[in-house]
Amino acid sequence: MTTPTTAPPGTGADRPQGAPAPAPDVPLADDVATVAPAFADPRALLLAPVTPATWRGYGQAAIGFPWLLTVFVVAVTAFWLGVGLVFLFGVGLLLLIVTLLAARWFARVERARLRAQLGTDIPTPTYRRATGTGAWARMFAPLRDARSWVHLGYAGVAWLVVTLTWSLGIGGTGWALALLAFPAVAGIAGLDHPDVPLWFPVLIGVVSLWLAPVLSQALTLLHVRLARPLLGPSRRDLDEARVRAEQERARAAEDRAAVLTETRTAAVGAADEERRRIERDLHDGAQQRLVALGVELGVARRTAETDPEGAAAALDHAHREVKETLAELRDLVRGIHPAVLTDRGLDAALSALAVRSPVPVTVDAGEGLDRASATAQAAAYFVTAEALTNIAKHAEATRAHVTVQVLDDGADPRLRLVVSDDGRGGAAGAPGSGLDGLRARVAALDGSFDLVSPAGRGTRLTVEVPCAS
Amino acid sequence: MRVVIAEDSVLLLDGLTRLLAAEGHDVVGYKTADELVANLGRRGSSAALPDVLVTDVRMPPTHTDEGLRAAIHLRSLHPALPILVLSQYVEQRYARELFAGDVRGLGYVLKDRVADVDDFLEALARVAAGGTVIDPEVVAQILARSRRTDLDTLTPREREVLGLMAEGRSNTAIADRLVVGLPAVEKHVTSILTKLGLAQDADDHRRVLAVLRWLDQNPGERA
Repeated sequence: MTTPTTAPPGTGADRPQGAPAPAPDVPLADDVATVAPAFADPRALLLAPVTPATWRGYGQAAIGFPWLLTVFVVAVTAFWLGVGLVFLFGVGLLLLIVTLLAARWFARVERARLRAQLGTDIPTPTYRRATGTGAWARMFAPLRDARSWVHLGYAGVAWLVVTLTWSLGIGGTGWALALLAFPAVAGIAGLDHPDVPLWFPVLIGVVSLWLAPVLSQALTLLHVRLARPLLGPSRRDLDEARVRAEQERARAAEDRAAVLTETRTAAVGAADEERRRIERDLHDGAQQRLVALGVELGVARRTAETDPEGAAAALDHAHREVKETLAELRDLVRGIHPAVLTDRGLDAALSALAVRSPVPVTVDAGEGLDRASATAQAAAYFVTAEALTNIAKHAEATRAHVTVQVLDDGADPRLRLVVSDDGRGGAAGAPGSGLDGLRARVAALDGSFDLVSPAGRGTRLTVEVPCAS
Repeated sequence: MRVVIAEDSVLLLDGLTRLLAAEGHDVVGYKTADELVANLGRRGSSAALPDVLVTDVRMPPTHTDEGLRAAIHLRSLHPALPILVLSQYVEQRYARELFAGDVRGLGYVLKDRVADVDDFLEALARVAAGGTVIDPEVVAQILARSRRTDLDTLTPREREVLGLMAEGRSNTAIADRLVVGLPAVEKHVTSILTKLGLAQDADDHRRVLAVLRWLDQNPGERA
């Protein structure tokens, strides 16, 4: 028999929802820390020439300079050619459409390049779809898509920024190194410079060696700040995504609230039903017995002198009555809450249940059951009690088995109970039944309740409740 | 005396039957309200009626108040049939429904009172003779719910007497209960009725009714 994993809707199988995905809203401050730490941390400012971000920026510029320059040349050519040819039988329009589609491809490559080289994650934007279904509408959709035009705009300006980064960063560093090497070169060449003292180019070199990386970082930051709105989603898309994420969170919270309301109502209902049952049991049982007992004793006292034999018979009757009432009260009290569960724990309480069952029951209790809360243990106990009662009454089983253990897979340890029998199956747990009340009780603890009872093949009840419930 | 008992607890039915049989009564027992109504609920069959009917309130099939409803139904068919209603709980609300009409030959007592065999037999005899028996607990509930401020003008002893009057006891029974002379009780009763503005009435039944109605009224709508 396989362990069932599904539970009926509306039961405790509805686990608390995990936090929904965070809104795709990257704080701009992150870019400063990633590509321009010099502006975030004084130490990084001092150490700008040796900061990894500086060298990542140089790498970006080294590849980006030829790449973006090429793209710019191609894009600007295609764009103006397209604009120029618009009136020539629409050839220009086709060229523009192809250019815009290529801009999307370029944007994807550029986002990937920036991610790989700088570690900045720019989300993929959504492009405007065709409003109609016709071939024309689909064909001209890129022309109406603002994002694609914006990508083209990036191709138009990014080469400028990367050129500056290239010249000021890499070029500046080279210039600084050259200045630093100047005294040595001058010495070797035997040049004489009476006008300029040798320490002066060295000083300029040191300052440049520091200034170049700082400028490079600033330009890289500018580059990323340009790329974010021009390559990524529009501000409106970002806002919409944030709103969607918030709605998602709100919906999850509402769903959770609905589950809680439902299970709470069911639990209160189950508790009420339980109280009514206890009242009925007391009313129909002990109370009637005690009244009858009062009558017997009254009769005995009344007839003690006139009819001693009758009085003795009444007393005998009354005595039997007292013993039966006591037995009934004992059962009832145990049904309300068994003392052994409080005193000796779940293992002992389940064993006591097994002993009283007319069907032979084996109990298999795992270690560390006391890690489950008293509430969780009580739930397991009452589920077992009800299940064993049902087995004795309806299942026609020859034996039953109870397994209880704590499943600990990290943060959320659960108390798991399995009650199975080899009876005739077909158990349903109809509304209002004892099993139904327990289902509500388990659901209120955020537990799962699973009853598998195919006709003729036994019944298996699996209940899991959080240990902390 | 012919007694019919409707009681679903076999033990109690058995005990009561033996008790009443030992007292020389002729007892018939029914276990459900339906059975009771089926046997007594025929119009114009008063010849077959018992001298007194004892019925439980909560009986099968619904285990709510079918005994009480059966009693009210039978009472409407046979206004002269004396009925003693036994209940595990006595509620003023039930009492009001039961005593809505003529209170003669009606009783409503806590089931526990049955254990006081002498009291029970006395109550049964009183109801069979056309008297009214209301459980002290019901009277206490009525007194507790009564918003009559006039009650405060009564002395503690007079309140006690008022309670016993409301239970349906005669002056003699009240005198016995309080272990005082009959003239003392009569004096208290006169004083109570005067203070509350009720008509002096020698008839116990009408007096019970007057007291109950008065207690049930709001202070504003004085009769």
